[in-house]
Amino acid sequence: MSRFSTIFEYATWGALCLSLVGLFYTPYNPMEQDFRNLAFSSASFSHWFGIDGLGRDFGSRLWRGSGNTAAMALMALSLNFIIASFLLFIEQSGPRFLRRVIPLGIGIWVAVPVLFIGLVMMVFLKPSAGTLIIAVSLGNVPLAFRQLRILWIEQRNALYVLATEILGAGRRHLLAYTLWPNLRPDLMGLAKLILAICVLELSGLAFLGLIGDPDFPELGAILRQNQAYLFRNPMLVAWPGLILSTLLLLVHLSKSRSY
Amino acid sequence: MIATKQEHKFNALLIELAHKGVMLLLVFFIASAVIFTAVNLVPGDPVSLRLKNPDPERVAAIRAELGLDEPLINQYFHYITSFVRGNWGDSLITGQTVREEIGEYFPATLELALLALFLGVILGLGAAFSAQWFKSGLWRNTALGLGALGLTVPIFWLGFLFIVVGSLWLGWFPSGGRFDFTLPIPQGSGFLIFDSLAAGRLDMLRVTFQHLALPVCCLSLYPAALVCGVLQARFSDPRLHTLLRALRAKGLSESRIWLIHILRLLGAAVITVVGTNFGALLGGAVLTESVFSWPGMGRYLVEAVLNRDLFVVENGLLLIILLAYLIISTADLLAFLSNPTVRRHSDSAS
Repeated sequence: MSRFSTIFEYATWGALCLSLVGLFYTPYNPMEQDFRNLAFSSASFSHWFGIDGLGRDFGSRLWRGSGNTAAMALMALSLNFIIASFLLFIEQSGPRFLRRVIPLGIGIWVAVPVLFIGLVMMVFLKPSAGTLIIAVSLGNVPLAFRQLRILWIEQRNALYVLATEILGAGRRHLLAYTLWPNLRPDLMGLAKLILAICVLELSGLAFLGLIGDPDFPELGAILRQNQAYLFRNPMLVAWPGLILSTLLLLVHLSKSRSY
Repeated sequence: MIATKQEHKFNALLIELAHKGVMLLLVFFIASAVIFTAVNLVPGDPVSLRLKNPDPERVAAIRAELGLDEPLINQYFHYITSFVRGNWGDSLITGQTVREEIGEYFPATLELALLALFLGVILGLGAAFSAQWFKSGLWRNTALGLGALGLTVPIFWLGFLFIVVGSLWLGWFPSGGRFDFTLPIPQGSGFLIFDSLAAGRLDMLRVTFQHLALPVCCLSLYPAALVCGVLQARFSDPRLHTLLRALRAKGLSESRIWLIHILRLLGAAVITVVGTNFGALLGGAVLTESVFSWPGMGRYLVEAVLNRDLFVVENGLLLIILLAYLIISTADLLAFLSNPTVRRHSDSAS
């Protein structure tokens, strides 16, 4: 199982990197309607995924879209970890009442579905990719905070950490050679879980039209844009979902890798 | 001795209830404050945005009528007291009362979500128990596949696949909507299954189920995957195998062991995972509504947010958040009742 997980892990990173390349390079301009006379044409040698209803190379739009989805999800994941770690730091080193208040607040926070956090934010922020990133990262803070807290408490109470401290290890040594090697596998697992959730939620919010620009190449937004052509050209709906599902499945299958 | 045990359980339940009640009040005040602040941070006046010719005098008169010219703290107090009283104001877009509109859309979402939850739990239990009972690779792979499908395939895309197969290819189900628009909609509670049954109209019930079939199947995969995943994790626990050996040694039948003892033991875990993920299910319901043109709360709220419909956003969002918290709390209490060893130490552990 571990060997397969390692293969899936490499496949996941490969898929993410390939998606991110789409931010800088695509065979055709994904925004320009250069092939209006070929609208709705199916796959060909020069257009592997066909042409969409507005005369754009669909493969280029998919590539840029998966790049945007991956980049947004990675940003949301980073922001999520920063907020959750900051809250954990305040809780662990701040005044005593915070030890009760922060977990209580997280307990309430967890009751609010991410989609509705997104909707609350859309009330006062303009619908945009940035707003979605903030909404998704905030929505998953309870999950990240709780998991990080469990990991931290486990490590803090571990006998080998205590032994290293007694042996006179400095803070940097303790962090680099004792804590990090033990935290890394669980942190990677948590990061992958939250990354998958971020991809799913970001594309869901974009599908609802909360990304602002309806023409923004993001996989959820592309699906929304093409849903009107479901009966006319189902492949315009099939491809974005297939790419999303493949990415999520790879992350799912690589979660059990042991480091 | 038994009375003391029951008394102890009752006291623990009362403490749990009081704790949940206090938390619900906290959720109410915090969520209402956040929503109220968000609504009031919006640049521009929602009343002026709605009027074609925003004459300052008319705008001022409408603002005074709606109480929007009062200090913010008074407005907040008015908001929470009106919410509790059920006086939720009028929609700035349609002019209908928000309560009437929510009364129309809320049952649609709840009917969809609860049916999907029910079907999901049945599917998850079925897949996990089949994999455990039959021990064959086929059943085990089915359970694994269900887990992967429910957690990795985006619900909105799955909805389109269901429409293509169920509506376009097979032609068995309608591709969207809640009821056939050529027929009179059954009136009453807003829950069409219940209303059709109450009216004794089996033709209406059939139409209702035809419209429910695709969205419910689509939405049920997520809870099914969760339930299946939790049960499979529990089944691999060696302590469960020890318990099974002990129950078999007592001479109990297999059906009694699984359907009474094991199901009761695992019930708490299933209830907890379903309850804590009810919020995500509501989020999934919003996406499903969008795919299947389902006239529910999700679509209503998304449109209200994009159109800045003040009172709909304030009251609709608060209602959904309170509902999600209530379901989570109820699930916790049910888990506590089915297995009293489940205490609040899960909170402290997390």
